Amino acid sequence: MANSGFLSRLTSTAASRYAVALICFAALALFAAKTIRIESDFTAFLPPSTTPEERLLIAQLKDGLVSRLMLVALQGADEKILAQSSRKLAERLGRAAEFEYAANGSLNQFVAQGEVLMRHRYALSPAVNAGTFSVAGLRAALDEQLAQMTSPFGALSRTFMARDPTGELLAIVRQFDSGAMPALRQGVWFSADGKRAFLIAQTRAPGFDSERQEQAMVVVRKALAEESPQVSAILSGPGVFAAESRQLIRRDAERLSLLSALVILAMLIFVYRSLLPVALVSIPVFLGLLIGVLVVNSLFGSVHAITLGFAATLIGEAVDYPSYLLLNTAPGEAARDAARRLRVTLALAVLSTVVSALALTLSSFQGLAQLGVLTMVGVLVAGVVTHFLIPWLLGDRVLAFRRLDLPSAEFLVQSRWPAVAAVLAVTCAGVLLVQQHPTWWQRDLSGISPVPPAMRLQDAELRREMGAPEVSVFLASRGNSQQAALQAAEDALPLLQSWKQEKLVRSFDSPAWYLPAAATQRARLDRLPESAVLEQNLAQALRGLAFRQDAFQPFVADVAAARTAPPVTPASYAGTPLGAKLSALVVELDGQWLVLTPLGGVTDAGKLTQDLATNPRAQANNQVVDLKQVSSDMVDGFRREALAQAGWGAALILLLLTAGLRSAKRTLHVAVPVAAALVLTVGLLVAFGERLSVFHLVALLLVLGIGLNYALFFERSAADAEERLRTRLALAVCSTSTVITFGLLALSSTPVLHAIGSTVALGAVMALLMSALWARSRAQSPTGARG
Amino acid sequence: MSIGDRVDVALRPIATVLCFLGAAIASAAEVEVFDLPRLMQLLAATPAAEVSFTEKKFSSLLSEPVVSSGKLLYRRPDSVAKIIETPRKESYRFERDVLVLTRAGAEKRIPLSSQPLLSAFAASLRGLLGGDLALLRNHYQLSLQGDEQSWRLDMTPVDEEIGRYVQRITASGRAGRIGQIEVGESSGDRSVLQVR
Repeated sequence: MANSGFLSRLTSTAASRYAVALICFAALALFAAKTIRIESDFTAFLPPSTTPEERLLIAQLKDGLVSRLMLVALQGADEKILAQSSRKLAERLGRAAEFEYAANGSLNQFVAQGEVLMRHRYALSPAVNAGTFSVAGLRAALDEQLAQMTSPFGALSRTFMARDPTGELLAIVRQFDSGAMPALRQGVWFSADGKRAFLIAQTRAPGFDSERQEQAMVVVRKALAEESPQVSAILSGPGVFAAESRQLIRRDAERLSLLSALVILAMLIFVYRSLLPVALVSIPVFLGLLIGVLVVNSLFGSVHAITLGFAATLIGEAVDYPSYLLLNTAPGEAARDAARRLRVTLALAVLSTVVSALALTLSSFQGLAQLGVLTMVGVLVAGVVTHFLIPWLLGDRVLAFRRLDLPSAEFLVQSRWPAVAAVLAVTCAGVLLVQQHPTWWQRDLSGISPVPPAMRLQDAELRREMGAPEVSVFLASRGNSQQAALQAAEDALPLLQSWKQEKLVRSFDSPAWYLPAAATQRARLDRLPESAVLEQNLAQALRGLAFRQDAFQPFVADVAAARTAPPVTPASYAGTPLGAKLSALVVELDGQWLVLTPLGGVTDAGKLTQDLATNPRAQANNQVVDLKQVSSDMVDGFRREALAQAGWGAALILLLLTAGLRSAKRTLHVAVPVAAALVLTVGLLVAFGERLSVFHLVALLLVLGIGLNYALFFERSAADAEERLRTRLALAVCSTSTVITFGLLALSSTPVLHAIGSTVALGAVMALLMSALWARSRAQSPTGARG
Repeated sequence: MSIGDRVDVALRPIATVLCFLGAAIASAAEVEVFDLPRLMQLLAATPAAEVSFTEKKFSSLLSEPVVSSGKLLYRRPDSVAKIIETPRKESYRFERDVLVLTRAGAEKRIPLSSQPLLSAFAASLRGLLGGDLALLRNHYQLSLQGDEQSWRLDMTPVDEEIGRYVQRITASGRAGRIGQIEVGESSGDRSVLQVR
C-alpha cells in the first residue's frame, strides 16, 4: 500500500498533478514520434475490388502499362530547339535506370525496334502465303522494288531491299498504324501547333510507387536542365499524379493541422481570456489525437497522410467536450459536480459521434477505415478525459474566468419568419433532391480519386494535343496458358478489323501482331520454300530486270535461316518499347492468362459486346471490358455499401438516443432538426453543383453525429435563463470550432478532404440553425414546452 | 584662256582614262568574288521554270542504272514539282509543307514535317531552284567551288539522322542554270539527275 500512499501524496497538490500529467503526455508523444509510420499510397483511397474485371482495373491502375507511362511535354522554345532537346532527353532517359525506354517518335528509335521485327518478319508478317515465293509473286515484288528506285523515299526502303524484297517488314508495320499517333515535326512528336514536343517514357517503378515515381521525375527534370535549360517541361501521367498528390497531401495535412490548431487556440484564448482553461481544454484534444493516431498506426501498420490531414478536424470536434463542460459550469460550482450533472448529455454526445464514425470504420476502403478509427478513438478519449481527467486535475478548485457575453437575438425569437423560412427551405431542398435524383451521385472513379482535378484536366489537355486519348476499353482475351490467350487474341483479329472498318473503333493495338500464337508462326514458317526452290524461282523472276543476279542473296539466306528459327517470344523484344508494351498487355491474373487489346475511339462499348456475342470464332474466350463502366459500377457498388452502412449507423444512433434519453418522444425532438439539417445540407451541395460521392455520405454521417450533439445540448436546456445563456455560449464555441476546422479542410485540394470538409462545415451550420429554431419554436408552443 | 584652263584641258583625257581604269578594276573584282550569295542571286533571278530531266540511278543491287525522265517545275516562292514520265508516271509535288504524291492515279498527301528525310529533300529542291540560301543552310552544310561559268555546290546534311541515309547532294551548273544534281547515299548508291 506504500505505492498508493505515495501516489496519493504525489497527487495531493495541484502542481504535482499537473506535473504527472505533463510527464505522461511527453512520454506518449515521444512514443508516437518513434513508432508512427506515414505512407501515402493513393490507392488506399480507391475502392477495393471484387470481380475479376475490377481486379483487372485496379491492377491496371496500380501497375499496368498505363500507370507506368510518363508524359513529358517540352515547351518554351522554338520548334528546332524543342526537337533537339526531345532527342537528347529521349536518349538520356533511355539510358537511365529509372526508365524502360523513352519514345519521341524519331526514326532512330524505330531502327532499334525495327531490327527485331526484321529478324522475325517471316513469322510475324500476315502477308506470307504460298504465292509470295512463287515466280509470279517474286516478279511482282521485284517490279515494285525497281519502281521504288526512283522514289525520294528510296534511300529509306533500300536499306532493307536486298534482305526483304517482298516487303514483309512493311506489311508488319502497316498493321500497327493505330491511327492515334501525334503529329511529327523535325521528325519527333509535336502538338499540332508545334508549341510542344512530346515524349512518352515508361518507368520501371509501378505507377502507385509515389516515391520512386518522384525519383523518376527528378531524373527527367535534371536531364532537361543539363541538356537544354531554356526549355521547360510539364510532366503528367498516373505515376506523376501519385508523386505530386503525395506531396500535396503531405503539404495539406501539415498546413491544415497547424492552421486548425492555431485558429482554435486563438478562439479559445478569445473565449476564456485566461491561460488555465485554454490549457485544460487542449488536454483532451491532444490526448485524443495522439492516442487515435497511435491506434490507427497499430491497427493498419501505418498512418496514411490523408488520415493525418483529417486529424485536423478532430481538433475541432474534440475541443467541444471540454468547452461544453467548462462553459456550462455554474459560477462557484466545482468541475467534478458539473461533470456529474452533465454526464448523460456528454456521454450521449460522445457516443453518437463514435457510432457515426463506426460506419466509416467498417468501410472496405482502407483509407476511410483509418479516418473512422481515428475519429472513434479520438472522440472517445477526448470524452473520457473531459469527464475524468479535467475534474481530477482541477480538484476542488473553482475555475473562474470571465464569460463572453453573446448578443442575444431576441427579435428572432419573437418573429415567426425564421421558422417559416426554414420549413420552406427544407421543403425546397427535398423537392430538388427528389426531382434531380439520381443525377447528383458521383459515378466517375476519377471524381473520388485523390488526384486534384487541375492535374487531371492538364493531363487530358496534353493527351488531346498529342492525339493520344486515354484508352479505357479493352478486348480481354483469356486462356489457361499464355499460348491459349494469344490464340484467342489472334482469333479476334478479323472481328477487330471489321470493327475498324465500320468505324465502331478508331484504332486497336493487338499484341497478337507482335506475338502470334506459336502454331500460327509455325504455319507461316512452314510455307517458306527450301533454298534451292527459292533460288530457282528468284532467278526466273529476275530475268530481264535491271537487278544483278546475286543482288538478293541476303534474302535467300534470311529465308533459309527463318525456316529453322525458334518462334518469337516476349523475350525476343527485351529492351525495346514493344517489349515493355507486351509485358503490360500480356499478363497473368488469378492463374489465368490475359491478352489485352486496347481499343481506341470507342463510342458504344455495348454494341461491341453484342457483336462479339454473335461471332462464333472470337466469342468464347474474348470479352469487351470497359474500364470506365467497371469503375462506375465499382463506385456505385461502393456507394450502396456506404449508404447501407450509413443507414445502420443512423439507426444505431437513434437506438442509442432512445436508450439514453429514455423517451421516444424526446428522441424524436432531438432527431427532427438534425434530419432537416441533413436534407438542407445535401440540397445546398447539389444546388452548388457538387456530385455526391461516398466521401460526402460518410461526411453526412459525421454531420448527423455533430448535429445530434447540438440538438442534445439544446434539448437539455430551459432549466433557467442563466443556464440557457451558458448553453448558448457553449454551443457557439463548439459550433465555431467545428465550422472552422472543417471549413479549413474544405480548402484542401485533395478531393476526399475537400468533400468531407465542405459537407461537415455546411452541415454543422445547418444543424445549429435548425436546432436553435426548433428549440425556440418548441419553447413557444405550449405542447412543445411540456415535451 | 588662262593657264589654269589649259592645264585642265590637258588633264581631262588622263582623268577620263583613270576613270575607265577604275571601273574596269572594280568590275574585274566583281567577277572574281563568286560566292554563295552571288550564286543564290543568280538562281533566284528566275521567277518560274520548267525543265526536262533525265535521272540515272546507280545501285549495288543493279546491273545497269535505272533511267527515268520527266520534268522539274518551279514557281516562286515555294512550289516545286518533280514529275516522272518514264518508266512510269509518278509525281511529287511540294506545296508549302505537304508532299502530294500521285502514283497510278491515286493521290496521297504527306506532311513534310513528319519525315525529316522528306523535308530535307524538299529543301534541297526549293533552295536550289529558288536560290534560298537560308533554307539550304537550315538543312545542309554548303561548300561552293568554281566560278560563275562553271560552279559546283556540295551540300552535306546537318542532321545526323539524315546523314545516315544521304551522304551528300552535289549540284553543278553555269550561272543561274542548274545542269546536274547528284545525290550520294550513305549506302553507296547514287542518283544523277541531268537537266536537258
